[in-house]
Amino acid sequence: MKIEKILFPTKFRELAFNALEQLVVLKKTELKEIVFLYVIPREEVGFVPYGGYLKDEEERIREEARIRFEDWQKSLSAEGIDSKIIIEVGSPVPNILAASEREKVDLVVVGRKKKISPEMSFVGSHTLQLITRSKIPALVSKYMVQFDSNGESVTRVNKEIFKRPLLASDWSEPSERALNLLMSFKGVAEKAFVCHVVGVKISKGLDKSELYRIEKESKERLQSYCERLKSAGIDAETHLGAGKTPLEIIRISREIEASMIIMGTTGKDHLHELVLGSNSHRVAQMSELPTLLVPQI
Amino acid sequence: MRKKNPGLVLILLPGVFLPSFAYAGGGAHPNMGETLPLYSVLPFVGMLLSIALFPLLAPKFWHHHFGKVSAFWAVMLVVPLLMAYKGTAVYEILHIVLADYVPFIILLGALYTVSGGILLKGTLRGTPGVNTGILLIGTVLASWMGTTGAAMLLIRPLLKANAHRKNRTFMVVFFIFLVANIGGSLTPLGDPPLFLGFLRGVPFFWTFNLLPHMLIAASVLLFLYYFMDSYFYKKEGITAAPDDGAKEPLKLEGSYNFIFLTGIIGAVLMSGMAKWGDISILGIHRGLQDVVRDGLLALIAALSMAATPKTLREENAFTWFPIKEVAILFIGIFLTMIPCLKILQAGTKGELALVISAVREPVHYFWITGALSSFLDNAPTYLTFLSTAMGSFYPGIPEYQAVALLIKDNPIYLLAISAGAVFFGAVTYIGNAPNFMVRSIAEEAGTPMPSFFGYMLKYSLPILGSVFVLITFIFFI
Repeated sequence: MKIEKILFPTKFRELAFNALEQLVVLKKTELKEIVFLYVIPREEVGFVPYGGYLKDEEERIREEARIRFEDWQKSLSAEGIDSKIIIEVGSPVPNILAASEREKVDLVVVGRKKKISPEMSFVGSHTLQLITRSKIPALVSKYMVQFDSNGESVTRVNKEIFKRPLLASDWSEPSERALNLLMSFKGVAEKAFVCHVVGVKISKGLDKSELYRIEKESKERLQSYCERLKSAGIDAETHLGAGKTPLEIIRISREIEASMIIMGTTGKDHLHELVLGSNSHRVAQMSELPTLLVPQI
Repeated sequence: MRKKNPGLVLILLPGVFLPSFAYAGGGAHPNMGETLPLYSVLPFVGMLLSIALFPLLAPKFWHHHFGKVSAFWAVMLVVPLLMAYKGTAVYEILHIVLADYVPFIILLGALYTVSGGILLKGTLRGTPGVNTGILLIGTVLASWMGTTGAAMLLIRPLLKANAHRKNRTFMVVFFIFLVANIGGSLTPLGDPPLFLGFLRGVPFFWTFNLLPHMLIAASVLLFLYYFMDSYFYKKEGITAAPDDGAKEPLKLEGSYNFIFLTGIIGAVLMSGMAKWGDISILGIHRGLQDVVRDGLLALIAALSMAATPKTLREENAFTWFPIKEVAILFIGIFLTMIPCLKILQAGTKGELALVISAVREPVHYFWITGALSSFLDNAPTYLTFLSTAMGSFYPGIPEYQAVALLIKDNPIYLLAISAGAVFFGAVTYIGNAPNFMVRSIAEEAGTPMPSFFGYMLKYSLPILGSVFVLITFIFFI
């Protein structure tokens, strides 16, 4: 897996360009093109009660978006990255999903760029829908975040996001794909981290010997991941955690000062996901770090 | 005993008319329609003029603030009415909200939700035959899934099938004529005015008496459409549809929603046939069967939402926005039309006695209901003239009985009002809610649509005008 083409949907909110700038570094890997997408919400221009359609308004919004994108294109062009502009009327989530498949991109970058209020979730409803439904790896970018740490409100700017990536694996097929994607970050990742959490569900009720067996097996698997990363030219180290999976992953990410979290996402337990959300989505919602989610094929 | 209510001076606009409205204040007012002043219909007129003029003159403002405009006119009516009529006004407001508005919105919402779960996919080639077929199917479906539902189901396939055609505007115009309006004339599910009639006691299948009127109007329009399309098809010199990739066979996805549609028909039919007694909601007596119907419709809509994949609705570009708009606007319409309905129901004892005596013959009802339905929404217009007829023939008789008598003794009047309200809804973009939805979807898809007056002058007045004259001579003179 490698990232050659990225879809960058935007609403031109504050710091959107800063979030875009964080992707330019991928030029050192395989990145060739970024596709800009602006979806004009249908409700903005259509279904005027007893009126019809605001064609002039659509044209105005289109022109505004085009001018802004062309300005961004200049910056990308200077870095040697091609770009393409798509402006269409529709609904954000389905249009982004459709564009990501139509354009055959390798990564879609989603999420608000700035978290203003210190609530628990860093992921809005649209982003949650996108990461749940995307068949393509999705990066929840979180350029600037505000969150509570030790009772204090902290503002964090996520720069150089590919520098110290943490891969949290549950040994699933999507985790394997996430590892392959991480291996393509050679040249931009200074050091990678691989972790696994022995979840409460697994450890609960097990006797000590069984727990030791799982611990040993997990360490061996982590080591194997680590070696594969090293053979791909990326320095790596392993971490094993235990407890509530999302909280453990976030704890480890803070301890090692990771710059991003990468996870596979299976979405296989739909009921659990409906009620509580999957571990990967919970991490995306709770962690202050950019979160790259790699779905099942 | 009548007495003045000086508080109204602060609220109601033209001070010169105030005393007459103020005279209405105090005490019980069982015959509200006999004491309401004529200017009490001003908020209703304001509401309808807002719907007619804002989309033309200030579409962007209207798009973002129509809810505030609707609320403004509602407050302009409700506050003085409450001050003047107190308990009677509370009763009338609650009655129109619970007995008319809520069931109306629930039915529209259910039809919209269920039909939004049906997706026609596949490659269609827009020939005159295929297009006429789509219009015919839409016309037939409209009475059973609502004009909005049928229009939403078929407008995108029609536009897609004709994307390669140069002249598409007339197709959408005929689609508005037939699918979004005239096709909905056979059942109370078809068009909102007929459902309001049903809520007031018009039997479900009585509306089928409009079949001859509908058949003549639809046949003339379909023939005319076919000839126009054939002419343009030849003129465009099309020999084959453009090869734009693999051909997809025609298929209907989410067709299980037709089962839900049957459920809607069943629920509405049940409420018209069953008599399970009354229950009181906030002091308003409603038939238990009506409350059960509304509950069933809401349940059917919820089941349709749960059963239909999200992706299917997305492909249908399904959005709640249009139905939300209708709900917001219609609460304003329903509230502000209370005085108008009451005065008309009072017959010659009310301030609109002149209207009552001027509108006498079926032909008057057909054309005046129709003319007003063209520019005002057809649902309130239907109710207004139903009230006029009842006020004219049976003043002071309870509404439900008056409707039954009208059907028994003077059915031609109800036919004229129903046909006028439904058919003339197609005369302008603002005559019926689906018109603007169809226009919006067509324009978004790149089909140029005529302006408000262009639509009337070029299409509706010459074409529909001729059809309505024909209908008049055959049925109403």
